[in-house]
Amino acid sequence: MISVLEPGLQTTIQAGPRSGLRHAGVPASGPADAVSMALANRLVGKTPAAACLEITYGAASFRFSSACQIGLAGAEAQVTVGSRAAQMHATLEVAAGEVVAIRPVRMGARIYLSVGGRIEAEDILGSESTYLPAGFGGHGGRTLRKGDELVIAAAKPVPAATTPASLRLSPSSSYALRAVAGPDLSDEAGFDWEASFRVSSRLSRMGAEIDGLFPMQASGLSPSSAVFPGALQVTPQGRGFLLLADGQTTGGYPHLLQVIRADRHLLGQLRPGDRIRFLHTSQARAEEALRAKQALLQSWMPEFRL
Amino acid sequence: MSGNSFDIIACGDDALRILCGPGDVRHSLAERLAGDPSWNEIVPGKQDVTIAFNPYTYTMTKAREKLQHALHTGLTHSVTRGRDHVLAAEFGGEAGPDLAQLAERLDMRVETLLEKVEQSPLKVDMLGFTPGFAYLTGLDPTLQANRLDHPRSRVPAGSIGLISGQIGLYALDGPGGWPIIGRVVSPLFDRCLTEPFVLKAGDSVKLRPAVSPQ
Repeated sequence: MISVLEPGLQTTIQAGPRSGLRHAGVPASGPADAVSMALANRLVGKTPAAACLEITYGAASFRFSSACQIGLAGAEAQVTVGSRAAQMHATLEVAAGEVVAIRPVRMGARIYLSVGGRIEAEDILGSESTYLPAGFGGHGGRTLRKGDELVIAAAKPVPAATTPASLRLSPSSSYALRAVAGPDLSDEAGFDWEASFRVSSRLSRMGAEIDGLFPMQASGLSPSSAVFPGALQVTPQGRGFLLLADGQTTGGYPHLLQVIRADRHLLGQLRPGDRIRFLHTSQARAEEALRAKQALLQSWMPEFRL
Repeated sequence: MSGNSFDIIACGDDALRILCGPGDVRHSLAERLAGDPSWNEIVPGKQDVTIAFNPYTYTMTKAREKLQHALHTGLTHSVTRGRDHVLAAEFGGEAGPDLAQLAERLDMRVETLLEKVEQSPLKVDMLGFTPGFAYLTGLDPTLQANRLDHPRSRVPAGSIGLISGQIGLYALDGPGGWPIIGRVVSPLFDRCLTEPFVLKAGDSVKLRPAVSPQ
């Protein structure tokens, strides 16, 4: 059992994304940063999409009623297990009754806490991931609250592991996101690829509002088409909106850019005030980038797919 | 037999969009493509169908070729007809808090408004926005209404929204910005089914007043 002592700003159970249901309006959900979640799961010997706690901005603590292995990955924060200082990116041993405390995150947004035994979660529409707007999946379809108790299955301990340094998220407040032109960017020269943008405070698992100068000819509402995580749309107010894991399935705002599949996991670490640049990427480069990053991650996590 | 020559454009680095225009062709296209496990997602929009492909199986070039081939082999010649649904609904009162005001604004009696809704040959044009939310076209054109100035943070599952030209059916509880005129009695979502949402794009819908038990 895990007792939630402090849930932080937003902690949810996330597992694999939902797939094949976007035509019915069902978003992917799942981890905002799928790479970090898979790395946390790897530390306790679990498959990449096993259910995890996704902790936004840290400042959370949990009491474990029985001895257990845990793994932490994602945004950097100081961590203590009982009275001991502990490391992220390494298998940690928690004794029965001990408290795992995560300090506030200074850069990045989300930390993933994986535990050795299976976390009990509601499996719905093919995934245990929490989808907050409709209130399903995870723990009662909601964020965790102080006093919640999560049931954890017993598990055999695995050999301790440490995430290779080259695979860890490098903390940053500035991102260069590789992007291809979206279906509504009529002229690739019409977008200022040198421009720098800033993440506004309107930010959730659904998407991140982006301030900056977007081509104005693009604004307006057109007949709805499918959109996916990584889509950059321009709202009638002239702001950008980047879709994340819980992003809606269809939209009518101009879809200017698409962050390439290889870089979408980074979107889960954006926080207000972060700077973004979009790097103009060809389809061939996008495919090469996916192959390269996938090969690197697969060497450590054979089952993982970006 | 001639095939179709719709334009296919990229939608990001791992999806393609068939510009097939509005109408039934979207639904028959989507239905036929759904039989092929190469496609991760097949999402009809208002005027197109977007297909997310598995980038570990296909490059975009290969995916495009495969899609073009599917279109040229007469994929859309058999127009699949959606199912017909007759959905019983409660109108007005607690189930339809905006009905009376809407009738007043349209300067018609509530009965007249409901008659027009019931006689409209509604068709599920697409699903989107939230899980299972169905956009229905075919609404009597005299029923003109705008979205609410202040969207509700929660409307109950089954709620029937109405804006000009369209009916929106909420499959789940959730936020809603359309005036609500009633509520469908039977559930539109069953989590135990493989296709958990009752309505699919291309289906026909008639709304009928629920018969209240004596």
